[in-house]
Amino acid sequence: MGASKWSERIFGTPLPDSVVIGSFLFPLLYLIAFLIIPVLVMLANAFVYNGRPSLFWFKSIFQSSYYFNPLHPQGSFVTTIDWGGKTVYYFSGLDFGVVVNSILVSISVMILTTILGVTFAFVMARYDFPGKNIVRILLFVPLLVTPFVNVVVVKKMFLPNGLINWIFYQHLHIFPHPIWIDGLVGVVIAQSITYYPIVYLNAYASFINIDPTLEEQAENLGSRGFHLFRTVTFPLALPGITAGAILVGIFSLEDLAAPIVFQGSAIAKKLMSYQIYSSFVSGFAIGNPQMAALALVMLTIALVMFLLVRWYVGMRQYAMLSKGGRWKPRVAKPKGWQAVVIYLLVIPTLLLTIFPQIGVVLLAFSERWYGTWPEGFTMENMKALLTQPDIVNVIRNSLMYSTAAIFIILLLSLTASYAAGRFKKAKLAPVLDSLATIPIAVPGIVIAMSYFFFFSTVPPFKGTILDPTNLLAFFPGAALILAYSIRRLPFAARSISAGIQQVHVSLEESALNLGAGRWKVLTSILIPLILLNLLGGAMLSFVYCMSETSVGITLGSINSTWYPITAKMRELIIGSVGSANLAAALGVFLMLVQIIAIVLANVITKQRYSFIGLT
Amino acid sequence: MVEVKLENIVKTFGETVALKGISLHIEHGELFTLLGPSGCGKSTTLRIIAGLDYPDSGTIYFGEEEVTYLPSHQRGAVLVFQNYALWPHMTVFDNIAYGLKIRKVPKEEIKRKVEWALELVRLKGFEDRYPTQLSGGQQQRVAIARALVVEPKVLLLDEPLSNLDAKLRLEMRSEIRRIQRELGITVIYVTHDQEEAMAISDRIAVMNVGTVEQVGTPKEIYETPKTEFVASFMGKTNVIPAKVVERDGDKVTVEFESFRLDGLTYTGEKDDVVLVIRPERIRLKPEENTVSLEGIVDLVEYYGFFVEVVGLFGETRMIARTISDREVANLKPTQPVKFYINRDDIIVLPKQQL
Repeated sequence: MGASKWSERIFGTPLPDSVVIGSFLFPLLYLIAFLIIPVLVMLANAFVYNGRPSLFWFKSIFQSSYYFNPLHPQGSFVTTIDWGGKTVYYFSGLDFGVVVNSILVSISVMILTTILGVTFAFVMARYDFPGKNIVRILLFVPLLVTPFVNVVVVKKMFLPNGLINWIFYQHLHIFPHPIWIDGLVGVVIAQSITYYPIVYLNAYASFINIDPTLEEQAENLGSRGFHLFRTVTFPLALPGITAGAILVGIFSLEDLAAPIVFQGSAIAKKLMSYQIYSSFVSGFAIGNPQMAALALVMLTIALVMFLLVRWYVGMRQYAMLSKGGRWKPRVAKPKGWQAVVIYLLVIPTLLLTIFPQIGVVLLAFSERWYGTWPEGFTMENMKALLTQPDIVNVIRNSLMYSTAAIFIILLLSLTASYAAGRFKKAKLAPVLDSLATIPIAVPGIVIAMSYFFFFSTVPPFKGTILDPTNLLAFFPGAALILAYSIRRLPFAARSISAGIQQVHVSLEESALNLGAGRWKVLTSILIPLILLNLLGGAMLSFVYCMSETSVGITLGSINSTWYPITAKMRELIIGSVGSANLAAALGVFLMLVQIIAIVLANVITKQRYSFIGLT
Repeated sequence: MVEVKLENIVKTFGETVALKGISLHIEHGELFTLLGPSGCGKSTTLRIIAGLDYPDSGTIYFGEEEVTYLPSHQRGAVLVFQNYALWPHMTVFDNIAYGLKIRKVPKEEIKRKVEWALELVRLKGFEDRYPTQLSGGQQQRVAIARALVVEPKVLLLDEPLSNLDAKLRLEMRSEIRRIQRELGITVIYVTHDQEEAMAISDRIAVMNVGTVEQVGTPKEIYETPKTEFVASFMGKTNVIPAKVVERDGDKVTVEFESFRLDGLTYTGEKDDVVLVIRPERIRLKPEENTVSLEGIVDLVEYYGFFVEVVGLFGETRMIARTISDREVANLKPTQPVKFYINRDDIIVLPKQQL
């Protein structure tokens, strides 16, 4: 009998048992095997030219004006074109080359989503106005994720005969000429509308978590109005807002739905995510090391953003110092001009941002949509969800993959959160903690790319069902389940580690002290106490697995028998025989799944906004 | 029931040394208290005895058996946590029965034993309640019952009364004492409250920054403190810096301000000393074998049945605590006053870096 120093250093306890060691090693080895090593294998490809280590592929990217052209942008941001006899302002954006375009789109989306999200959050957190409860429900709508089809609707909204011109040109006469938003500008608008709820949720949580006495003290000392907001409220909420904005930036960088829907405009294709994706679908470029290098550039940008914000938020984590019980939130009735802004600007903007989800429903129930509004009511698309064999098949596939993935995710996040949360002194704890959250910063297309290189070249997997080049045996489901379990892990891990933090460690120690082994402590004390977090995390991961796009439309679209829902949606939207209306019906199905999960989660955990809580 | 021995226990947390090699010997069946200010290492010591932390070096014995690195659940040293650590998802019965179920005690016996434990802590009839439906004192009793029902070799109590209000604290204090006597069990008790420690303990170890300063009965600790820290930690006391100016065997003469006191007992080597005088041992009237100090009244604090007179002797303040009689209660600041102190009540200790 004796203590072991190395075990204390590594596992945080001198007497680790199988439960502790397993809790550390299972998630660690899993993440190393299916995230770190595949990415490293791809990395290796990017650094080899003619069989020798080389920066050739990176040079080929940064020396080509196609990829990198920050100084001499091509095209024009806006032009006037003739559209059926009318002059139309056509916005498509400037082309700075693929790499710079991606960065600029990402920055633009961060700025737009921050403006939208912070405004809505501030109004909801600080004002009490007639109709607020309706707005609260409406704000819930843009949270619903409908890959591809919501972008289809956004694109229609901004056509010369779309909703925006119908309102602002035709009826309000605010626009002198109709506008047409396409290309990179279209991508920015579509992504902003899709992702601003993430900033909204983070900002809202930050605003309502500010101790009201801090603001009251400032008022008491003479600060008011915008000065109060600028000097106290905003700085206190800034870490949360920044975290939300950066996350949006990463999502924008890796997004494929918007560039794919806008690909009719050539400039929308000049984004890193699209370039890598198109190398997959065009087939012959598969395994192109230049694409590996490009994926690496994208991964590096995403990781830098992620690490910077982690560092910044960690530094600025203001512990609210107040003592005592719950505080009353500071909510005021809006005064004159504030009410005008809320009713005439904020709420109408909100209505426009939820139109894509409404539009998806309209699209699903209509035969065609060429003008401002869809036409021809039909139930056929919705019926197809239950009757059309290929549609039923993709739904079954997605349900199967997602269900399998959440079991892995639950096991991973439970063990990782337990190990990192309860053995903090362990050298492995921070490693595990970072590894479990870092998939958020790894673009899905990078994972798809890495898996391609990894499973088709590394011996234990080469030639198995995981090898995408082994066309006869390749089972996309296996690769998708692995990818889902990695990509959606952070969502469940966050929920579960929050639960573990809320359980005082003495509750486990007293069981241990009374004679229970670690396994017994886990099953009889910890798991029952965090059951709600487990369920919440499971449902959250589930809905995000169901709507996973990047891997689904690449590795997942190699064999149509095994398509997940998103692969089918892509095919319906861009394929020659496709129907966007049928894709919209799948979008409605995904929305229903999410609504059921959210309602269940709220009923079970009694928590509001349990979704996309990412800070 | 077992005796507990700690030998040279060292424990560090990162850079900070929490325990600097402490040794203790706790007899079986005694109520032993670890007393000290927060951060002195008393809770760490308790957690190490419980097996929830492990020392960097040193050894722990329960009786003849070495248990230093024995996992917590194999030791039979059961800890009652400061926050009680009752499982909110289990009833009172299930909380108490938990340890028995793990030991695979037959159902009937579990029922009998839980009943016994509930009776012991006077909570019969509360079996089906959940912890949130109990008051603080009742939760405390459940926590103690849960620990006692597994018949631990040693019962460990970590600041068990700190979350209770003043009245309940007195009540639970005598409850703990009663239960300990009834079962004859070895109890190690941690507190920062010196009054609580003296009222409840057979013996006390006074701890300070990771070391044990003194071990003894409450009377020994209070009456004959071995160090300045112990003297000043055990209740309100006068600690007066002074200098040894003459030695004659173990008798010394000391000086402070313009006063010179002879015939005091001191065997230490350092000449820089402190005089420790308990306020209640200072008289305002002359008695046998007393030294007298002349000063003026600085402040009179009236507490009802006793009075504290703060006298000013040069720059030095000294408190005398005495039964309030008319004469004393009428003292006014700036009046001259004389303090009389029996030489045996002046404890001379080497000055300590505190």
